[in-house]
Amino acid sequence: MITLARLRKSVDEGLAYLRTVDDIEEAEVFAASNGQLLTRLNYTSHIPCNGVEEPKSSESYGIGVQAVFRTAEGRKIGFGSESSDISIEGVKEALAKARKGAVLDPEFVSLARPSGEKRALRRYHDPRLMRLADGELVGCGWEVVGGALRTFQASEALIDLASGDLRALGLIVGGDVTILQERIAVASYAMPEVQTDESSVILSFVTSMVEREGSKGSGWAAATRLAAFGDEAGREAAGNAVQAIGGVRVKDGEYRVVFGPQAVMDLMVNLVMPSVNLGTFYAAASPFMGKLGKQIASEKLSIYDDGAAVGLIGSKGITCEGLPTGRSELIRDGVLTGLLTNYYEGQRILGDPMGREKLGVDPGDYRAAMVPRNGFRFARGGGRNFDSQPGIFATNVIVEGDDRSREELLRQVSDGLYLGRIWYTYPVNGLRAGDFTCTVVGDSYIIRDGRLAEPIRANAIRLNDSIHNVLQGIIGVGRERRPTLAWAADEIVYAPEMAVEKVGVQEIAGFMEQV
Amino acid sequence: MPAKVTTDVISQVREMACELVRRSSRRLRHLRYCDLRIEVGEGKGAAAENGMDKLSSEDYGFSFGVRAIAGEKMAAAGYFGQQLGAADLPRLQRVLRAGIDHAYERALASAQSKALARERLGPLAEALHDTELAPIEVCQDSVPPQYQIDPRSLSLDEIVRYVREISKGVQGVGQQVMYNHVGASTALSRQLFCSSEGANIDQSWAMTGGVCFVVAVGKEAAQELYDFVGHQRGWEAISQGVDEEHIQRPDLRTFSLDLAKDTVALANSRPLKASDKDVVVVTDPHYNALLVHEIIGHPTEADRALKMETGYAGRSWLLKDLAENQLGKRVGSEVLTAFTDATLSGFGHYLYDDEGTPARRVVHVDKGIFFGFMNSRQTAALLGAEPNGSYKATDASLVPLIRMSNTCFAGGDRDPQDVIREVEHGYYVVGHRIPSIAEQRENFRITAMKVYEIRNGELGEMFRDGGLTSDSRDYFMSIDAVGNDFRLFPIPNCGKGAPMQTKRMSNGGPTMRGRAKLTGAA
Repeated sequence: MITLARLRKSVDEGLAYLRTVDDIEEAEVFAASNGQLLTRLNYTSHIPCNGVEEPKSSESYGIGVQAVFRTAEGRKIGFGSESSDISIEGVKEALAKARKGAVLDPEFVSLARPSGEKRALRRYHDPRLMRLADGELVGCGWEVVGGALRTFQASEALIDLASGDLRALGLIVGGDVTILQERIAVASYAMPEVQTDESSVILSFVTSMVEREGSKGSGWAAATRLAAFGDEAGREAAGNAVQAIGGVRVKDGEYRVVFGPQAVMDLMVNLVMPSVNLGTFYAAASPFMGKLGKQIASEKLSIYDDGAAVGLIGSKGITCEGLPTGRSELIRDGVLTGLLTNYYEGQRILGDPMGREKLGVDPGDYRAAMVPRNGFRFARGGGRNFDSQPGIFATNVIVEGDDRSREELLRQVSDGLYLGRIWYTYPVNGLRAGDFTCTVVGDSYIIRDGRLAEPIRANAIRLNDSIHNVLQGIIGVGRERRPTLAWAADEIVYAPEMAVEKVGVQEIAGFMEQV
Repeated sequence: MPAKVTTDVISQVREMACELVRRSSRRLRHLRYCDLRIEVGEGKGAAAENGMDKLSSEDYGFSFGVRAIAGEKMAAAGYFGQQLGAADLPRLQRVLRAGIDHAYERALASAQSKALARERLGPLAEALHDTELAPIEVCQDSVPPQYQIDPRSLSLDEIVRYVREISKGVQGVGQQVMYNHVGASTALSRQLFCSSEGANIDQSWAMTGGVCFVVAVGKEAAQELYDFVGHQRGWEAISQGVDEEHIQRPDLRTFSLDLAKDTVALANSRPLKASDKDVVVVTDPHYNALLVHEIIGHPTEADRALKMETGYAGRSWLLKDLAENQLGKRVGSEVLTAFTDATLSGFGHYLYDDEGTPARRVVHVDKGIFFGFMNSRQTAALLGAEPNGSYKATDASLVPLIRMSNTCFAGGDRDPQDVIREVEHGYYVVGHRIPSIAEQRENFRITAMKVYEIRNGELGEMFRDGGLTSDSRDYFMSIDAVGNDFRLFPIPNCGKGAPMQTKRMSNGGPTMRGRAKLTGAA
């Protein structure tokens, strides 16, 4: 990876060069170096396999320039980038591309301006993770696989079931260990002092199965330091798979449900977070159109995004627009109180003639609800990329509520379903309609008399409901939150368990009992 | 070495790269196999919203990826990928060599750990095996691109103007159109594949696509529709449309205006009511494109079937294990046939996959009997099958996965109008929208753009927010009519793998009739 000092120097020199170019009204230089290291895990006791399937990495570095040009037609905004060259020559190449691609965007106001907030996080990365060797990458993968296999081997339930040969049970350990290494530097005419940021995380998500029994369990781990990473994701997934043996089917109906942390994460990442993005409001595509400042959920629910929280996995020092990260209240006691935004969208809504109708309030009166703390250049499954313009991304999404214990939530539901993991949760009639469907793929149980009873068979029920019904039907929110990861999503959701009334459930795939 | 990155780079580095890979076998003691992909693209594109310019860009892409299989006691694979730039050209040999060394070190480390695990983890570790690749015909070839309007010759300004005017036109469809986004891009790409076995394949392709997203608010509801047009051709693919035997798509302007009119009409329509029981449904080729993608294409990817995607994209109900599976068994009615064929003209077309295996037709279901999976050399070795050329990555820096190319239901011999006319009461399901599929692809819910009621063979009222749900096998078994109107559609955004790779492909089929439950608004 390129050092932070080199990135800083490049941005400093690049900005100085841009100031000498006559037709530039204002500009921003962003340099980044990213590494994504990943080992995929694939152990199958009944099919020949490699255990650790793919130790691999993808690396990139380069420089991006956003510039506002004075032209005879008016102010034009353009973006260009150059890969593998952070010298002045690279800046010139990026500028030439920005100039060529510049367009007259009547809604563009300016590049980012200081927000008045102060940066909270510095030096929070792990130097060991930033210089991980090939052997260590492989070792992380084997550690997780080993944890899962040792859990299977130690399980008396499995030994009893297997009559001596565990392999015949079809034991599966799948998933990955991912390490993200990110370094950036950014400066602009409006914020000329070069700012840098360096972050590293290690994540693991594992699914284990006792396939002959149709039981599935998940485990996951996330840390900002290598020393904090171990085999727990593998152990947890294997343990949950063993616990899920003997799953039963569930009939069609409306049920009281406790969603587990992974399921809450899925609802957040696929339905709620896209709906509280200011860009979605601009496009008139949010299910909460016209509801800023209004009740959209049970008063038991609160959600905020906090990119500056110390020790949380998704934290960053600054955004990719050079602005401080921080806490944005999104839903407080069920009221929609804020929206995620970058600088561009935050400015655009102020000039949108439909802005009042879209938000339900005058945007000018609600600037504090739309502070640009979420302009990031995430792409390709990780990294802060020099070749992207800032989009809107959540960081650490913290879901909180009325601080109930799991036992209290189960007692509250009394008879219903505990749904630990849902799958393919999509707004099937478009995001604005709010309707969604998904299937239940594991980590789930019947709730009887306020206690967890028998496991629910994996892939045997589908949920068909609306995010409005779910948010308004919340009857309890747990006090313990876990950092949860979504496939191909950048945010980390700190998700509690959540009890909801009247969730629509459909029994599916009965034919699989005979296949 | 050239100073600019153009697709000509491939010609200039071809010999050096192939020699580097060949020499690696001699240089690295425990290397059993190595392959290298280098990819260069030259592209441009623009986007507009509500008739206003939003962005435009003209740039190149340049990347490489390496796979090494190595080991002393046992063999394992290791990979390395990197984005490159013009500054890498003078030092390219050194950069590629460092990448090969990284992949080799990872393979060695993984092989050593695997051997150690076999010693330490008892009987469960007996499943750990040597990484093997099934043999293939080793090819040397060059494949030229097909286009009329060279993506490199088109001016960026013309693309900007084109999408702006279309976006204005969409806005002009009516006051109920609240928002629209129109985008277009065109690119020429070229990839070199060389392996330690002697493969040396240089493939080029043009790729052009356009997208339209519309939100309308009507008297009944708000409605949002999104769709894509594109083909492996030059700019003509969207400026003029496509008129081939199996691909008939309008130009981007006509396509976007039609989509906007549909969105407005749907926003003024009633929602479809869900049914408790299966009803007769006739599905059009566009809807079937997503259906075949989700419930034929994905479950016939051998990596899913072999549980390698258990943690992410899911498994396949078609294979429990190597002994117990659906191969040779009936999974659908006599009239149901489905296949993947990368050699067909389409958005997913190619002649060699990313490990140099020649592409060919892979029949998945033949007259209702399950026949086989798309595979890679590694999964073919496990299944005892011949590699069939289905291993593709989105970019050379990423590790290939088993992927659809052009996957479709085969056409039948029925007039599609007759297929509808024979229905006393049922529903005509038009255009795909959003899917949600069970983990082994054993059940689906897929929404449609439009659903019409059929009464006495005639189309009646149009409904919004409708779709179908069924268990996959039940639905396959219910198919009783297959039209002769086979069509392919571009799918630009199929996600799979970790990190997720978004791949382009074609899916399609003819008009078909079966039975499923209707879904509606919640």
